[in-house]
Amino acid sequence: MVFNTGAALLDAIVLAVVSKEPEGTYGYKITQDVRQVIDLSESTLYPVLRRLQKDDCLEVYDRECAGRNRRYYKVTSRGWAQLRLYESEWRSYSEKVTSLFEGKMN
Amino acid sequence: MNHMNKAEFMRQLESLLQNISEQERQEALQYYDDYFNDAGPENEQSVIEALGNPARVAENIRRDLYGAGYGDGDEARKAVTGRELAEYDEAAKDSCSQEQSQPGGGTWQSGGASSGTGESGSSGQSGKKKLSGGMIALIVILCICAAPVVFGLIGGAVGLIVGVLGVVVGVLAGWFALIFGFGAAAVVCMVIGVVLMILGAIGMGLHPLAGVGIMGGGLITIGIGILFMMLTVAMAGWITPAIFRGIGHLFSRKKKTA
Repeated sequence: MVFNTGAALLDAIVLAVVSKEPEGTYGYKITQDVRQVIDLSESTLYPVLRRLQKDDCLEVYDRECAGRNRRYYKVTSRGWAQLRLYESEWRSYSEKVTSLFEGKMN
Repeated sequence: MNHMNKAEFMRQLESLLQNISEQERQEALQYYDDYFNDAGPENEQSVIEALGNPARVAENIRRDLYGAGYGDGDEARKAVTGRELAEYDEAAKDSCSQEQSQPGGGTWQSGGASSGTGESGSSGQSGKKKLSGGMIALIVILCICAAPVVFGLIGGAVGLIVGVLGVVVGVLAGWFALIFGFGAAAVVCMVIGVVLMILGAIGMGLHPLAGVGIMGGGLITIGIGILFMMLTVAMAGWITPAIFRGIGHLFSRKKKTA
C-alpha cells in the first residue's frame, strides 16, 4: 500500500473492527481482522488498543476461555460517538479525493 | 535463525519494560501472553517472527506511553478525542444527521493540519490570553521584587531634597547670621569708638598726647563701625533681595521650561 495509515485512521479501523462484535473481541482476533484491511506490523496494535482504552473508547473485561482468562475489548458509548465521527470524516474526505480524481472538481 | 521460544520472548519483553509502571507492564505482558495463547502453540514461531524482536515490541509500547508515537497524525487524533468529540456529542443530541456533523468535520481537518484557519485562529487567541496572564503575573512579581529598589530610590530622592533644603536653610541662616554679626560689630565698634572719644577727651586734661591718641583710636574704631554698618546695610538691603530675586528667577524659568 502506497498510502500510509495515520493514527486517526488506524484508530478508526480498530474501532470499526471491534464494533462488529457486540460481545467484544480479543487482541489476536482484532490483529487478524485489521490485517485483512491494512498491512500493519503485529506489534503496532497493542499500543493502539491501550490508548483507545485510556481514552474511554474501548473497555476491557476478562472472560474465562479454555482454562485461562482472555482479555476482551468492547466499544464504549464514547467509542461509538468517535467511530461515527470518523465515519463521517472519512466519507467527506474520500468523496472529495474521489471526485477530484474523477474530474468533477476543477 | 530465530529460535527463541515464547517463554524466552516474554522474559526478554518483561526485562525491557522495567522502566514503565508496574500496571502498564502487566497489561502489556498479559496482552502478549493472550496473543501467544490465542495463536496456538503450533504458531509460536510464526508469531515471534511476525512480532519481531522483543526490543521492537517494547519500543512500540514505550514510545506510545511517552506520547511521541505516530508523528503528526497523532495530533489529529488527539484533537478528535478531545474537544471535537464533545462537539460531536452536542451535534448528536440535536440530530444524528450527517449534515450536522459536517461543520465539525471542517474543524477536525484544521485541528490536524497546522494550516487550519478557524481552529488555529481560536487556539492562537487562547494562547495569547495565557501569555498575557503570564505577563501580568511576571509584571506583578517584578513589581514586588523591584519594590525595595523603588522605595530606596524614593527615599534617596527625599533625602536629597531634604538635604538640599537643609543646606539652603543653613546657608541662608549663615548669611543672616553674618549680616547680624556685621551689624552687631558695627554697633559695638561705634559704641567703643564713642567711648574712646569720650575717654580721650577726658584724658586730654591729664595727658594731652595720650588723650589725642585715644580719641584718634576712637575715630578709627567709629570709622570701622561705619564700614561694618555700610556692609550690613548693603548685605541686608541690597545683596539679599538680589539673591532672592535670582533664586525666584531660576525657579520661574524652570517652571516655564517644564
